Amino acid sequence: MVRYAFFMGCQIPMRLPSIEIAARKVFEKVGLEAVDLLGYSCCPEPVISRLLDEITALAISARNLTMAEEMGLNMMTLCNGCYETLAEANETLKHDLEKREKINRILKRYGREFKGNIEVKHVIEVLYEDVGLNKIKGNVVKPQRMRVALHYGCHLHREYKGPDIMRKPNMMREIAAQTGVEIVNYGLERLCCGYPSMQADEEFSLKNRLLLKLSRIRGSGADAIVTACPACMIQFEIGQVMLRSYGAQFNMPCINLMELLALSFGIPYQELRLELHRSPVLQLVQRMEAK
Amino acid sequence: MILALENDVLSYLSEVLGGDLIEAYRQRERRIFVRVKPAAVRKAVQALKSRYKTLRFMTLSAVDDGLDIEYLYHFSIDGIVLTLRSIKPKEDNTLESIADIIPAANFIEREISDLFGVKLVNHPQPEHGLVLTKDWPEDKRPLKRPFEGILPSKARPVAEALISSSCVAPISAFIQRKREEAGLPRSAPFAFTDEKALNEFQAIIRDTGFSEKAGFDWEKKRLRYK
Repeated sequence: MVRYAFFMGCQIPMRLPSIEIAARKVFEKVGLEAVDLLGYSCCPEPVISRLLDEITALAISARNLTMAEEMGLNMMTLCNGCYETLAEANETLKHDLEKREKINRILKRYGREFKGNIEVKHVIEVLYEDVGLNKIKGNVVKPQRMRVALHYGCHLHREYKGPDIMRKPNMMREIAAQTGVEIVNYGLERLCCGYPSMQADEEFSLKNRLLLKLSRIRGSGADAIVTACPACMIQFEIGQVMLRSYGAQFNMPCINLMELLALSFGIPYQELRLELHRSPVLQLVQRMEAK
Repeated sequence: MILALENDVLSYLSEVLGGDLIEAYRQRERRIFVRVKPAAVRKAVQALKSRYKTLRFMTLSAVDDGLDIEYLYHFSIDGIVLTLRSIKPKEDNTLESIADIIPAANFIEREISDLFGVKLVNHPQPEHGLVLTKDWPEDKRPLKRPFEGILPSKARPVAEALISSSCVAPISAFIQRKREEAGLPRSAPFAFTDEKALNEFQAIIRDTGFSEKAGFDWEKKRLRYK
């Protein structure tokens, strides 16, 4: 059995638990053991904390990384933002010895040391590389007959193993394809959903990012958006509601890749708590089941 | 000779102020800085005056950084310049006068009071109206900045939640119930679910100066500004 230290981040367990529920069920089906990190903290979130103080941000990341190191396990993240923060901190501290010494001086006071002996992987990499497409396909008992538009999320393009920034997005595409969905191309796959710019300029974020994406996705004939990032999901779901005040009406379901996999693995949608979505995911799934 | 005097001032203040001295350093030749707790400013000035007969008060400057005001008392002692620094939170909008020890501070303290809107304590003429008209509005002082830290408004709840709970997305009772219904623990195993882990996390935040930069009030467990 493949074992990973499981880093869930903040948004998924606290605001979007349906993703955690689905992920745990998927892991069980494919024989992936996700070991919880007891006492973990925010990764920390990649914008505000790094801008305020880079060393603190690194120290917080390093504290989380040392927990996985102590378990002797590589770390798996379920969130794109957490992936970027932790993978980048891991790489920085492995290679920048000055920063590593500085961080270890802080951690030493709490009996910790960053050793740099683990890897940080996004769940998509784990599913693709450790589980494999064959095993995923072998678990698909209920192919999902919907047309979906993929939204990878900007942080998924962060790459530490080479120059190919489409490595993980392509993995996501291949994994999604195993579930039976028809993937539609809409030409703006790489455009940001606008979540980070919400911090600075709500109107810009909604009109110049989200509206563009949603319009193009609707035009492509997709039934739903599939994303791998909880922040993007929040933007797609709550952003659609906010767009109404700018005169734009959308009712596009946004589903996480883990939920899509769980549905295709035959897990009853009632067990996934899809009613927690702010977009009509539940209604879409019920409609598909009725067909 | 100069170096000896600089060292003498630094070691003397260190001895007199003890724990009230936060930082003392020589920036370059003839330029030394000493940072003290606000309550120890008068003690430091009194001590300097009694030891150094050639002490001359040059001026006082003030800098409003949004959440705090820094007061910088500049003195000359036999050709070296000593700046006594003290940072006072703006929640306490007062400045304790040193005019009874150093009469030359009288006018500059009144000027600062006018321009920054701080109330003078124990000053012989504490009323406003030295450089501004007496009816100048209290809330429109020319050098007073709004009471705000460095975080933009949308980033404040995120930073506050991170520092106070180790997690940027506070969990609602509704989600806790839904998690339980799905067979999950009410919360993920965050640091805030374990006192030891939360203490460790918050100690890192404090040690590195992160919470101070963000403007976090540890007693009230929230940012000092909305």
